[in-house]
Amino acid sequence: MAVELPHLALETLARAEADRSRLTERPLLVVEAGAAPRVHAANRAARRAGAGPGMALADALAVLDTPELVEHDPQAQTAQIAMLAGVLLQFSDHVHPEPDARRILLEVGRSRRLFGGLAALRERVRDALKGLGFHPRIGVARSPAAARLLATLRNPAIPEDSEALRRTLSPVPLEALPLSAATREGLQAIGLRRLGDLLRLARPELARRHGPKLLALLDRLLGRRTETLPRFDPPPELYLTLRLEHEIHATGALAFPLKRLLRRAEAQLRGLNRSLQGMTLELKHREEHTRITSTRIAPTRITLERGHPGIRAEDWLPLWQTRLEREALPAPVIGLRLRATRLLDPPTQGASLLAETPGHPPPDSQLPAVLARLSARLGEQAIVRLTASGIPRPEAAQGTRHDLDAAASPPPPTPAQMICGTALWLQDPQPIPPPLQAHGLGRLEDGWWDRGQDVRRDYAVTRDRQGRRLWLYRCLRSGQWFRQGYWG
Amino acid sequence: MPSIDALLDHPALWRGRSAAPAANAPVWPSGHPALDRALGGGWPRGQLIELLGTPFGCGETRLLVPMLAACGREGYWIALLAPPATPWLPGWQPLGIPPERVLMIRTEHDRDTLWASEQCLRDPAFGVLLAWLGGPVETALLRRLRLAAAESQACTILYRPPRATEQPSPAHQRLRWKPDTDGLELHCLKGVGDWARSGQPLHIPMP
Repeated sequence: MAVELPHLALETLARAEADRSRLTERPLLVVEAGAAPRVHAANRAARRAGAGPGMALADALAVLDTPELVEHDPQAQTAQIAMLAGVLLQFSDHVHPEPDARRILLEVGRSRRLFGGLAALRERVRDALKGLGFHPRIGVARSPAAARLLATLRNPAIPEDSEALRRTLSPVPLEALPLSAATREGLQAIGLRRLGDLLRLARPELARRHGPKLLALLDRLLGRRTETLPRFDPPPELYLTLRLEHEIHATGALAFPLKRLLRRAEAQLRGLNRSLQGMTLELKHREEHTRITSTRIAPTRITLERGHPGIRAEDWLPLWQTRLEREALPAPVIGLRLRATRLLDPPTQGASLLAETPGHPPPDSQLPAVLARLSARLGEQAIVRLTASGIPRPEAAQGTRHDLDAAASPPPPTPAQMICGTALWLQDPQPIPPPLQAHGLGRLEDGWWDRGQDVRRDYAVTRDRQGRRLWLYRCLRSGQWFRQGYWG
Repeated sequence: MPSIDALLDHPALWRGRSAAPAANAPVWPSGHPALDRALGGGWPRGQLIELLGTPFGCGETRLLVPMLAACGREGYWIALLAPPATPWLPGWQPLGIPPERVLMIRTEHDRDTLWASEQCLRDPAFGVLLAWLGGPVETALLRRLRLAAAESQACTILYRPPRATEQPSPAHQRLRWKPDTDGLELHCLKGVGDWARSGQPLHIPMP
């Protein structure tokens, strides 16, 4: 399948530009710079006035009334094609972008059954690109060369076998073929107009008159000679940017551009067949102008993590909204940048189904989904999970973690910890007067953890006058009693 | 007639004279036979329960250990919202509570605590929620929490100071606890069943 994007330059502009009317109402030319500037693309208003791609800029300016000029950026076009190739990876594992021709080739022979036939697949591809603001021309054929050729036609058929391919290609005019000018003129001179005329001729004579290149082209078109194309290797990270046309002053108004960005991220990740658990949003701020100086303001970086991987824009957007509510903007926002470097393998579908069914305990490996929302509103530090550090002294026995990754179960308590009893609540040790009556629990002996200091302790439980059940220890070195926490 | 019987058996319908809530309502065992009887089988899931008393550390957490252990055994999560101290999980583990299922959520205000509780209740992963509230709370927020609790599978326990008894509460049950010589004394301030009507305190011995 060949996907050609004839209006790529204009569509790229339209995506970056929020104000569509600027692109449609007045004539606009995308100009290739150089010694003799040429028109690379022209919008509908310009084409109606008589300017078209390939024209010299001076000629175009002569027919147009003050057109808007935009310089063509081949690098941006290559990046755009690579981005779209990433999106199209959802339809085939073998994708080959041809940035110079504004074309992406896909090997879809193996995907046709999955998507319910070639025609259905073509519509899926078209819809996916349309959703992103691109209008492709798509040709589907047995060979890449024929697909390329069909993509230049309007509404081509989809030839299923080699005979149908021959029939479909026959009416194609010879001008559409990628032939050298000399060959084309030679063929036209003997009265050939269409590809079908050429295919009827005897091969040895054609080879003798026009060289083996023409025969090779015909063989590639009909799929008699295979053409190997390198596979597109997607970048292993997500990086999307959006420039805002209007400055945004309130975090609430960021939701709409963010939604667009998340949609793009979703499409791209679906193509890469990857998922993610966290991403970073960068808010680019306007320069602050005072009367004398203009100061750049460092972009605001916000990272959002959640408990289980997922790519759906609808799931991420409410999280971001809750998170952004907490943020105060130091200056108006003029651009957004979304990036994620840690892409994960997608989770199996079943897990999320189970977790949503009420009355069933969740699968072991996942954290409750709600934690992402809590962490977005209350801050990452609000979610605390305790981990075992292996040190028997109770005040050092636990570490905290705030991330939302699944964790293995900690080891059982060490024998030394068992001696300290099954108290429930911990505090930093506080010196207290000796208790009148205490129920002894056991002695925490010396060990590797004391770093040479005598920290032997006798643990005990007592009840104070208020009725609290205190968890105590007596330091054997000093004889001083300390409160370690509460028994219950 | 069968339709009336079906209606009367509906668990959401409470009849003033009925002795206890529906027998098949899901509960977490309380671990104390007398308390199980008084509560109608155990700590009810899908209800909001207030435990009022002071000071912290008299055994009001230990009272719930059998419930927490049962909840952890079944693979549900336990949320501790704004606890006044840090849990010492090496002590919880021998009591049968899996430490990897315990989650602590720190908040700065009671409002946040209530909001976070409500969010947790909307997640089916949680089996028990323990939340500590310091000051007076708007009744509207408690009512929201009651609704969220009623739709969930979790047992929600709110620890509140004793002066909160002066304020009416939409909670399903309210229990007032006081430290005793060797355990806790529980008064039922609000609830269903014989215990609530009798007004008799219940003594729970603590190891």
